[in-house]
Amino acid sequence: MAVHNGRGIAAIEYPTGMNQNGDPSQAWIKLKPDGRVDVFAGTSDIGNGSKTIQSQIVAETIGVPYEWITYDNSNTDSSPVCTGTFASRATFVAGKAVEKAAERVRERILEIAGKELEIDPGDLEIVDGEVLAKGAPQKKIAVPDVAAAATWTYGELITGTGAQLKAYSAITDPATGEVDSPPHSAISYAACAAEVEVDDETGTVRVTRLVQVYDVGLAVNPTLVEGQIEGGAIQGLGLGVLEECYPYYPSVEHRGGQFGSYLAPGIEDLPQIDTIIIENPSADGPYGAKGIGEMANNAQPPAIASAVYDAIGVWVTELPITPERVLRALEAKENGAGEPTRDGKTVVFDSELSVNAVSGGGMTFDAA
Amino acid sequence: MKAVGARVPRYDGIEHVTGRTVYVDDVKAPGTLWVKALRSPVDSATMTGLDVSKAESLPGVHAVVTWEDVPLLEYGHLSALGIPADEPLLAKDEVRYKGQPIAVVAAEDEDTARAAVEAISVDFEERPALYDVRKAFDEDAPKVHHWGNWYPHFEGEMDCRQIRKGSVTDAFEQADLIVQGVYRPAAIEHVPLETQVCLVVPEANGRLTIYSCTQALYFSMGVVAAHLQLPLNKLKVVGGTVGGGFGGKVDTATETLCSLLALKSGRPVKWRWTREEEFLCSSTRAPWHMEIADAVTKDGWILGRKMLTLHDSGAYARFSPYGLTKHSFHHTGAYTIPNLEFDGYVVFTNRVPTTAMRGFGVTSVSFATETHLTRVAHELGLDPYEVRLRNANRIGDTSPNRIVYTDPSIVPVVKALAGGMDNELAPEYAAMSREQRSGELLPEHLVGQLGNPEDH
Repeated sequence: MAVHNGRGIAAIEYPTGMNQNGDPSQAWIKLKPDGRVDVFAGTSDIGNGSKTIQSQIVAETIGVPYEWITYDNSNTDSSPVCTGTFASRATFVAGKAVEKAAERVRERILEIAGKELEIDPGDLEIVDGEVLAKGAPQKKIAVPDVAAAATWTYGELITGTGAQLKAYSAITDPATGEVDSPPHSAISYAACAAEVEVDDETGTVRVTRLVQVYDVGLAVNPTLVEGQIEGGAIQGLGLGVLEECYPYYPSVEHRGGQFGSYLAPGIEDLPQIDTIIIENPSADGPYGAKGIGEMANNAQPPAIASAVYDAIGVWVTELPITPERVLRALEAKENGAGEPTRDGKTVVFDSELSVNAVSGGGMTFDAA
Repeated sequence: MKAVGARVPRYDGIEHVTGRTVYVDDVKAPGTLWVKALRSPVDSATMTGLDVSKAESLPGVHAVVTWEDVPLLEYGHLSALGIPADEPLLAKDEVRYKGQPIAVVAAEDEDTARAAVEAISVDFEERPALYDVRKAFDEDAPKVHHWGNWYPHFEGEMDCRQIRKGSVTDAFEQADLIVQGVYRPAAIEHVPLETQVCLVVPEANGRLTIYSCTQALYFSMGVVAAHLQLPLNKLKVVGGTVGGGFGGKVDTATETLCSLLALKSGRPVKWRWTREEEFLCSSTRAPWHMEIADAVTKDGWILGRKMLTLHDSGAYARFSPYGLTKHSFHHTGAYTIPNLEFDGYVVFTNRVPTTAMRGFGVTSVSFATETHLTRVAHELGLDPYEVRLRNANRIGDTSPNRIVYTDPSIVPVVKALAGGMDNELAPEYAAMSREQRSGELLPEHLVGQLGNPEDH
């Protein structure tokens, strides 16, 4: 009886935005008379931080402090269409919509500042809330003064709208899956190494360390992207070793209806997590950002399964890798069962789980 | 100061950590009624004799809604994409999973609502249920769905999502080794701290204000508008701040029924699912059954992949056809495999319908293909980093749908992981980049599959 250490890795990819696209997001922005910025977008913040990310994009694009931004996603009367917060699209797709709206606002500010300064708007830029003449920054007007001039002098509302929509990618040949245009945007890549301890007496798998690499395109907010990556890692750990709605799947019996009978990861399950962020800017995302929210729980389960094999020499390919599954696999190994069948150049694992073993003939799967 | 790239504080962080964020459950409206649902107690049954008259006559009960009260009973989650609807908002003459809603009541308080639910009479004639997707195709399998036991409405009315590329037959003939395996990740619950919750207020001007925890304000508004057959100016969805979703709150689980009850009673109504309802009746991440056979060479090239996926959709389709399609598009993972034969089925079973969850469609296939690739590496006696780097997507490689990759970064990502693990790569692998294939990294079997990155 001993605790065995193992390591495993996995490398993954994940698209940004809805598969096959066709998912619009829109935004509109207006300036208050003192230059403060109101953003209206329909993106629900489900804890992913999209209010923050989109506010940062607006502040950067207009050229004003982040603290000037009020972000309102509270209702469908004032906010335009956003398909929703899923498909890793809140930064990439919806963030692009607010970036476009903010560009319009910046242009309007420059036009009115140009009138006030009697300088061509093309020779002006906005830095930290001030409109400056390029190359002659002593010639300047504060954005609040521009907003005031628009309101009280010119009788104008400084506003801008933006929309992002990538056209639907149709499957032109359902027999092969051929499509008429890229069905994805900005694929992100990630890799994960898991270190585990497996107790061969209790069957417990303890994940002790996760090292993870993510190409995020550009980290709009490094703290939030680290949060997505670390939070996703814990959810991936849950998938790998803890969580299941149906403990005797496919049976529906013995479902857990309370936290006491459904094992979501807790603080005691936390491994050491080391995160390496790579920034390979996307061509289409706001400031080169990609969306990595969802993929953040995809790499851990295969890394953990491989680490368990490395530790104790058995493959558990039904998730989660519970103590019961570990002990049954070890028992099978001891009894000489559980080995793959080898026939010529073909190696077949898990034949007892295959449709070939369970179906009454309605479905089969063969390599040949 | 630069705003993009800065570690600025979370916009609503202080509100969250001091408990002052207003979630749906914090919104109060005078005269609010409580909602409870009658749910199916069985996995599969025909249903007769639904009678709510006793419940309606109980003191304190203001409205009971059944399928007869819904202007458009069936509206699919993917109707906007042209995928037909299959799920009634409330069960009509049969139930297909335990927990399926049959009727909802609005009453003065929770206890009265619960008593009203118990006062509803209905008869069930239980039928054999199907739980195992592997048995769904057998002639003697219990019938789950009026479409059959698997989804039949892919493009061209195909009953299977297919990917075909190159010739797997040739690949398996040429292979030095064929490795086959089965992968079965479990259904899991989203476990948001905030359970499904909704408050609908009928306004004096005839509009409905829907306080919702949806992840998708406009999507949910569209679903409610479709079921109620109302134009969008009659609805105002209020939300945007969600207490955890992870995909489960894209389902519009409560908003439509509460809207119907608010209209029928003329009172604000609120439905807050118990934790037990959240665990047992809300949709889950799907369980998947995946079988893979890879044709590989002794030096670690993947020549071809054959794959079968059975996606356990539960009792209705919801988003599953979308999820399976996404799954199929990513079944080569981050690698270039020139010969492919993928068959995927959305299979119906008598369990709670499954739905989107973080990584939808791809979490499953990443588990299967990555675990399988490490198995392949072990069988070949090769380093798992090196097998990955060799087959990793590069600029100019093509996807299963024949789309040219213009910006893959899997090579630098895997190299960075090796660095992070102090795992020294052999010089030929350490020198690899994401640039277009040439020389030894462009073997015979990949020559014909490259594309021009300028095309996209």
